[in-house]
Amino acid sequence: MAEIPLSLAEKTFILHGIDADFRNDGRSRTHYRCMELETKLMDQVHGSARLRIGNTDVLVGVKVEIDTPYPDSPGDGKLEFFVDCSANATPSFEGRGGENLANEISNVLALAYQSPDAMDLTQLSILPHKKCWKLFVDILILECGGNLFDAVAIAVKAALYSTEIPKVKCATLDGGEADIALSDDTYESVKLDTTNFPILVSLYKIGDSCVVDPTSEEEMCSSASIVISVMPNGRISSIVKMGYGSVHPTTLSKTLDMGTKVGIELNNEIISALKREDELGLNREIIGFLR
Amino acid sequence: MPNDSKRINGPDATVPYSIYTNLNSESSELLIKNQLQFRVDKRKHNEFRKMFIRIGVVSQAKGSAYVEMGQTRVICSVFDPREIPNKAQYSTQGELFCEFKFAPFASCKRKGHQQDAEEKEYSLIMQRALEPAVCRHEFPNFQVDIYALVLDNDGSALSTAIMAASLALANASVPMFGIVTAVTVVIYDDLFIIDPTYKEEALCLKTIKKLKPVNHGIIMQAMLSQHDQISEFFLTGSMDINFVNSSIDILSKTSNEIYPVLQEALRKSILKMIKKKNQQEK
Amino acid sequence: MIKSNKTEQCNYLIRLATDRIDHSFPCNQDQQLIFFTPGEEISTQPDFLKGHGTYVDQQGILRASVAGPLEKVNKLISVKPYKTRYQGEIGDVVIGRITEVQRKRWKVDTNAKLDSALLLSSVNLPGGELRRRSVEDEQSMRRYLQEGDLICAEVQSIFADGSLSLHTRVLKYGKLSQGIMLKVSPALIKRQKTHFHNLTNGACLILGNNGYVWIGANFTDVDRSDGGFTQDLSRVRQENREVCARLRNCILGLAKSNILLSDTSVTYAYEESMKYNIRELLQPEVQLDVALLTHQRLVL
Repeated sequence: MAEIPLSLAEKTFILHGIDADFRNDGRSRTHYRCMELETKLMDQVHGSARLRIGNTDVLVGVKVEIDTPYPDSPGDGKLEFFVDCSANATPSFEGRGGENLANEISNVLALAYQSPDAMDLTQLSILPHKKCWKLFVDILILECGGNLFDAVAIAVKAALYSTEIPKVKCATLDGGEADIALSDDTYESVKLDTTNFPILVSLYKIGDSCVVDPTSEEEMCSSASIVISVMPNGRISSIVKMGYGSVHPTTLSKTLDMGTKVGIELNNEIISALKREDELGLNREIIGFLR
Repeated sequence: MPNDSKRINGPDATVPYSIYTNLNSESSELLIKNQLQFRVDKRKHNEFRKMFIRIGVVSQAKGSAYVEMGQTRVICSVFDPREIPNKAQYSTQGELFCEFKFAPFASCKRKGHQQDAEEKEYSLIMQRALEPAVCRHEFPNFQVDIYALVLDNDGSALSTAIMAASLALANASVPMFGIVTAVTVVIYDDLFIIDPTYKEEALCLKTIKKLKPVNHGIIMQAMLSQHDQISEFFLTGSMDINFVNSSIDILSKTSNEIYPVLQEALRKSILKMIKKKNQQEK
Repeated sequence: MIKSNKTEQCNYLIRLATDRIDHSFPCNQDQQLIFFTPGEEISTQPDFLKGHGTYVDQQGILRASVAGPLEKVNKLISVKPYKTRYQGEIGDVVIGRITEVQRKRWKVDTNAKLDSALLLSSVNLPGGELRRRSVEDEQSMRRYLQEGDLICAEVQSIFADGSLSLHTRVLKYGKLSQGIMLKVSPALIKRQKTHFHNLTNGACLILGNNGYVWIGANFTDVDRSDGGFTQDLSRVRQENREVCARLRNCILGLAKSNILLSDTSVTYAYEESMKYNIRELLQPEVQLDVALLTHQRLVL
């Protein structure tokens, strides 16, 4: 993340504010900034989404391809995440600068979606042992304004929700070789079952309390953060601690409780926003980067 | 797996033979639970394996440690602080650079020579687990290199590596706030299994999709026991929040039990060094 | 405008792109503004003096080199770029952040093309002493100002390469204490006689000419007799905090709608925003509403 140095007085001001549950911009500790979400904004991919929170801008594209399943899980499809921190976001991301951050984000996402409870890979299988769908989820970070993990996870969930996989009309084994026929109608497609897809909630420990959705300045005041991946039914699919500081076990428990509550509510809000977008119908105006 | 262009790689289109045996056949949920109920090495669920620790094994390193937990073997070396390459800005804190690697022959499936995504991730986790313990303000603008190599992976490799690293740091006389202990626990349904073997880890990572989701997964916790501070918490799987909270308690208690073992090993190594020095002086 | 029907207690608001609003609004143009893009012909007459933002090509035609409106002063033609880095002028009040501590000077980031320099001889020593700077002063520079510290300074002179030299010799300048710093475009800061404002609601506002705005949280008169280097780190009262947060959200809202920032516009915006609670000021519709009302009051 782009490092903004802060003076000691600014940090103290932010710290005391968060202690009193009143942040610099008037939000409380569990209040997210206004988010803007749009799906299906790109033509060439099977699913896409763009999310903006404050100054953070994330664009996700999902492409599907046919591949052979892994030999030790023949009935499963494949899901791969790739994060690219574009140099557009900040000059320090130029070349291999953003690689560490990109690796961390894709690792955390892979962990979150790893459990079959979260993502059931069997829905991606076409012919066990022979052919399966492989989903490439490509995440592009256009602008970095704090709270990247949450933004990326919400955008990924929205993109996967909007992904349309071509319908397989028939798939047979013809003398050991797989023979697949896809539907001719481009609008006939299958959507993924996204009911249990998790989102990431990052809780940053600042002082003695935890906040969600910090701005870049608030991130600089935090020594440790816990990234929880929460599924809509309240179960946790992964937890990673980030940052160079340590936490007390009771703080960790309290943080996890707060994170789960936030995660469940945020998940509900995302689903309702995606449904609102669906209601606008197929002729909805695609805004994308205009306006 | 990333291809190493500088070495001669084995043929690409190879597949581990285990897929053709019945060892990996689909187990039903009941079978998994039965397999986990009685551990192969007759341990209790909350019992961790016997540790064997040797400190100062690598002569060329400033500090090193070799730790064995059952069949899991990890060796770790720590090198002197050196200047951070590519760093222009002044910083008041030193840095840690960790590299975690499985030896190619360590696990069931052969790993390549270059770090793949999983090893890179473990390196970062190791770094974050050790950072709170090291007095970084004592070596500003320098970085300490820590290399951990897993020679044999029979479960809990990451936690063993973290403990080996903290012992190696202590052996290298890098100033620290405390010794880091790390414990791995595996969860299946209502079972908490401490210090799992490779098979137990593999069993708990998969589950059959059913109507009612079953708690399953792996939790790794690294702690500074003397200060009661958790330095790294790593969970993957699918769990209820209450389970996670109760596992934190179990993990903290186990860390407190492991800590005296590490302390004793360090003490013995120091006594040995003092004896050797006295003998040399005579 | 689809306004969310959620209650105030809602912590999560996800909007759709179709609800995106445009923050600019039409206002009366006093004079005819002519816009140019790089390479566009301005004039073919040879007797114009070329100013900033223009160049003369081989055929002797005057062309623009940046995108922006034309400025004509008698015979001097210049094109003022629409969005630029801060161009320093002597006497400007700026807010800067220390980026580097070098021998006998500090490097300050002031949103200009080059980092500005704050020479050791241009600051007041703590304790208010007046003496020649010694070697000990050089070595303890970091004790006075560190990387990341915010200062308020005045532009003393401009070096040959265009970078600025700052000074904090007057007691009202110096290290800034608790508060919020914002970044807006330098073009939005109105040039006024004074840039230090103590608003009626009690807050202390510094509108730096370089686009950095400082909202000071300590409302009592800070004792600056010791050279302005000590910082008051005590807890700020909740009412003061709320005033600062509201001001911050108002200023960011005004900046989004490209309204010139001055103490009057900020005060009007503050008053107009009182009907919303502070959190709501983060929503785009509310920001546009406050900006429109402020603009109306300014025009009257």
